[in-house]
Order: sequence, then C-alpha cells, then structure tokens
Amino acid sequence: MAAAAFSRRDFLRRTSIAAAGLAMTGCGWRLAQVRPSPGSVGDRTKLYIYTWAGYTDEELISRFQQATGLSVVVDIFDSNEVMLAKLQAGGGSQYSIIYPSDYMVRQMRERGLLRELDRDRLLGLKDLLEPYQNPSYDPNNVHSVPASWGTTGLIYNRRRVPEPPKDWGFLWDNRDRLKRQVTLFNDQRETMGLALRRLGYSYNSQDPEQIRQAYEALKELRPAIAQFTTDGWKDRMVAGDLSIAMGYSADAIEAIEENDQLGYTIPASGSSLWTDTMAVPISAPNLEAAYAWINFTLQPEVAAGMTARLKFATANQRAIDLLPPDLAQNPSLFPSQAILDRCEGIAPVGAATPLYDRYWTQLTSG
Amino acid sequence: MTPANPIAPAAEATPPKPRRWVGPWALLGPSGLWLLLLLVLPVLVIFELSLVPGIRPGDLVNPSGIDNYLLVFQPVYLQVIGRTLSYAIGTTIICLLLGFPVAYWLALMSPKRWQNLLLVAFTLPLWTSSLLRSYAWITILRPTGVLNSLLGAIGLPGLDILNQTPAVLLGMAYSFLPYMVLILYSSLEKLDRRLLEAAADLGATPIEAFWKVTVPQSLQGIAAGSLLVAITSLGDFVNPELLGGASSMTASRLIYNQFLGATQNWGFGSALSMLMILAVSLGIALLIRYGDGRPAA
Repeated sequence: MAAAAFSRRDFLRRTSIAAAGLAMTGCGWRLAQVRPSPGSVGDRTKLYIYTWAGYTDEELISRFQQATGLSVVVDIFDSNEVMLAKLQAGGGSQYSIIYPSDYMVRQMRERGLLRELDRDRLLGLKDLLEPYQNPSYDPNNVHSVPASWGTTGLIYNRRRVPEPPKDWGFLWDNRDRLKRQVTLFNDQRETMGLALRRLGYSYNSQDPEQIRQAYEALKELRPAIAQFTTDGWKDRMVAGDLSIAMGYSADAIEAIEENDQLGYTIPASGSSLWTDTMAVPISAPNLEAAYAWINFTLQPEVAAGMTARLKFATANQRAIDLLPPDLAQNPSLFPSQAILDRCEGIAPVGAATPLYDRYWTQLTSG
Repeated sequence: MTPANPIAPAAEATPPKPRRWVGPWALLGPSGLWLLLLLVLPVLVIFELSLVPGIRPGDLVNPSGIDNYLLVFQPVYLQVIGRTLSYAIGTTIICLLLGFPVAYWLALMSPKRWQNLLLVAFTLPLWTSSLLRSYAWITILRPTGVLNSLLGAIGLPGLDILNQTPAVLLGMAYSFLPYMVLILYSSLEKLDRRLLEAAADLGATPIEAFWKVTVPQSLQGIAAGSLLVAITSLGDFVNPELLGGASSMTASRLIYNQFLGATQNWGFGSALSMLMILAVSLGIALLIRYGDGRPAA
C-alpha cells in the first residue's frame, strides 16, 4: 500500500519540488547569454556558414574549396530573429560566418555578440562602394563586411493592373479593384514602414501618433491584402494569381525572369534599403576559415560571379565593373542615386518596439 | 526504529526493500529522467520567464509579477485567442461530421478483408509533412489552381476561398481528419450489433436505432476524437499561416512573434505559452477522465 502510493503521487511531488528548486535557485541568471568562445578551434577543414537562402551555390562552394581546401557546410535561416535566437541558444559556437542584415548587425554589436574584425587580415575593403565604407549600422565596418544590398519595392503584373504603380499610394488609390490581390511583408517594420513613408514619415519613426496613423492607413488597405508574406508570393505572382506583391529586389528579378509580364518598381517616395553582411559570432570556431571566406568573396571576380548567378547586388565597385552591361545597368538591381537618396535603412526603434508589435497584432488579427 | 529495538533482527526487515525499489526505478528511471529534463524543467523555466515582465534575451531573470498574464486580457490578444478557439471548434465539428460516416462504414459495412488496408490508406496523408499538405492546398485553391480549372471545365463559376477562413478550416480539417476517423473506428468496432437487431425487432426505424443505439454507444469515441482534434488544432501553426489571409493571427503565431519576431518579448511569449499548456493539459485531463470508456470514478 505504502509502496504503491509512492510510485505515483509521491514521486511526482518530490521530483517537481526538486525541479522547481533547481529552476528557482538559478535566480540572477541571464536569459540566453552568449559568452566569448575560449578560443575553440573546431574542425580546421570545415567552414560552417549560417546564411539566407540563395546566397551560396555549388559553384561558389566548390571554387572556395579549390582555392582553400576547406569544405563548406551551409545552414539556412529565413529571418534575422531566427538566426539570433539560434545563436543565443548556443549555435554561435558552431558557425564561423553569419549573414546578419544591417539593423541586426547593430543589435548584435550592441549586445556584444559579434567579434571585432581584424582589418589587417581583410583584403579588398577599399573596393567597397563609397556608402559602404562607413555604414551607419556599423561605423567603419568594424564588426561586419557588406555582402549584398537591395531595395524593397512592388512587383506588379502588367495584365492585372491598369498602369505600373509609381508609388506606395497606388495601393490606396486602387484598393477597391485590388480586392485580395496584394501581398505585403509579414514583417512589422517593413510593412508599417511603407505606410509611414506613404504618410511622409520615416521608416524608423518612434512617434506614437505617426505609428498609429500608419496602422490606420494599413487597416484601410486590409480588404486589398490577400496575405502578409515575405516570400510566399513568388509562385502565385509568377502564376498570375496576384496583382501586386511587396518584395525584395533580388526576389523580384528572379520572378521577372520566370514571367515577363511582371515588373518591379521602387516607389517614388522611397522605400527601405537593406544590406546583408558577413560577420563572425563572438563565440565562433575556426577564425582562419572565416577570414578566408570573407576574403574569397571580396575578390572582384568572385563577387561579380555571385551577382550574375544569384542576382543580388554586390557592394564591390570593382565587381560591378566586371558585370555584363545588362546587369550593371539593370535599374532594379542597381537603382540610380536619386532613388537611393530617398530610401532609408531600417534601424532599431528602441522604446517604440512594443508599440509596433501591438499595432501589428491588431492589424493581423482584426 | 532499529537502534531503539536491538532485539529485532535487522536482516529480516531490510532485504525485501531494495528489490521492491529497484524494479520501478529501473523501469521508470530512463523515461522519468527524459521527462524531467525535456518536459518538466523546460516548462518550469518557461513559467519562471513568464513572471518577468517584458524580458528579452540577455536580460537578468528576476521574477517579479504577473504583468505578462494581465497583458493577455487586452482586447487585441483576446481576439487572437478567440480566433484560435473558433478555428479549433470549427475544425472539430467538420472532422466529426466528415469522420463519423467514414468510420461507420469502415467499422460496420466495409468488406472485412479490406478493413486494415482501408485504414492504412486513410492514414496515408499523415506520412507526408504537414507543410507539404498545406502547400498542396494552395495549389488546389488558388484562383488559377486545380479546383478552379476543374470547375471551369464543367461550366461552373470559380471559387475564391484561398486566404480566407474557409480555406484555413479546410486545411486543418484535412490535416486532422485521420485522427478522428481512427478513434471513431476503434469505438464503433466494439459496437454491439445485437442491440441494433433488437432495436429493429422492437420496431425502431434505422434512424431511431442510429440515434438511440449507435450514437450513445460511441459517445466516448466521439468525445475522445473531438478532444484530440481540438487539442491538435489549438497549436496548429502551418495552416492558418499558409492558407489564412490578412486577419488570421492565431495564438501559435502570436507566441512565435514574441520569441522570434522583432519585439523579442520572451516574457509575454512565455505567459501565452503557459496558458496554452494549461488549456491543452485541461483537455488531456478531460480526455483521460472521460475518454477511456469508463465512467468517472
């Protein structure tokens, strides 16, 4: 009788008390803290890269292997926050190279998650385009090296819209005929940002009244929105099921190659300008390999080849000079300076962050 | 006890004890440790985080109140929870309405030699990833997709339901129907057919017999199947995400946003997770108490 009682209730009670004790005695611990690596070397013959889909291909990896003898293992993430969470969950000691975007570089740098790069070991930084010599998200490229950049804009189907959209306002002007034919990003900063920009405010506004107005504007637009998706629009756009999709320039160029009825516009009042970089986590193994990779991709021929094959803009002037004219002069890939001047990089909004999240939840659940 | 009573032979009292202990510990130890490390401890950590208002990664964990739980009661979040519940209830009803006739046919009317094969065939969709199944529905439902091509070919007007609630319910019902059918099948299989014959002898119409004999006997199966489908639907992420429209945020997505979105409010995300765990545990408790065929003791 006594033994039977122990077997269940008592066991549960005792173990849960013990477990609770274990969890609670940890008072004062820091959530998901990342410590610098104690200089672990890792496997010297392998380079682990954590990057976006479409930034590497077989050719790039095999050429790198021929040049350095290092084999490359590529893992893919689909958002900066997923990448950050994985690094904070201990993945940082696995990867030697990561590809954070501009605002994430700033965030990770401020939290001490990125290793300061040794400029003496980097070759070819001087070839970077002038705006990328000293980017605002990482002054003097101390913790990161720009890998690619682009804009966010509107992809449209000529058969389904009366005229090519010129500015964000097109969505509002035509919202009655665009019923559930538009996709916008599933990204609160980009989507709230376009509404802010349409109202004449900054993408990085921290003014509660401006943010509220942006929410109201998007709410008006909701009947026209089929879905909030950052990359789920491609197949449906190519198949001709959607009229307009918000998309990254690199994705737009790919979609246009598959369906020549599609076009890409960078809205006239400006959009967001993004940069993806190469960086080294503070806890990264095999630094030799990390530098080898950065230097390899900074070579003009390699960078030009990547732009030609993978369709994202390089920040390397000498690589741009090597590109065939149809690519180097493609305004979707390399927009004019006049357009770029009206674009803005997305930066952290500090105390306004929860406000964005609230309005975003309201927008996507209303 | 022993020192106070030196006459009592110590050898007699102790030997059986180790043997009685070793068995349960050896059998339960590995899985118990597994549960402790991978279920109990993580849930306790989530609970601790849920008591830290607005904690983000890198912050000090310092439990100080239930602010995160109070946040849940704001209208905007209640709306999300309401939608999640309505998706779960809708899916359960559709699964029950579609699943019962199938299970009935499988259990009582299908040829005996094909029964097992038919059951396996019915669970075949579960062998592919749920993500793939949702993508398949996009291909079927999109305006120029398979469904509308078929409807067009036979001269019917097209259906435009992708990115709306019907598409979400369709995808979820499709995903979870096999669970409902399997549970209803095992319940209907045990149906005492002599009672149906007796009902017929006593003058009941087939419809009366169904409502007064078949349904009461399979109530436990209906409850178990419905609870299982409802519990699984509550946590579904893929279908609302891929098939839903501009207003399709569910609790799973809201939790995901708190951990992996721009806000990184792990405290609020943990509070939402705890409430979700509580809701699901409640469902499972009901299932254990009422779902196994025995009346509550």
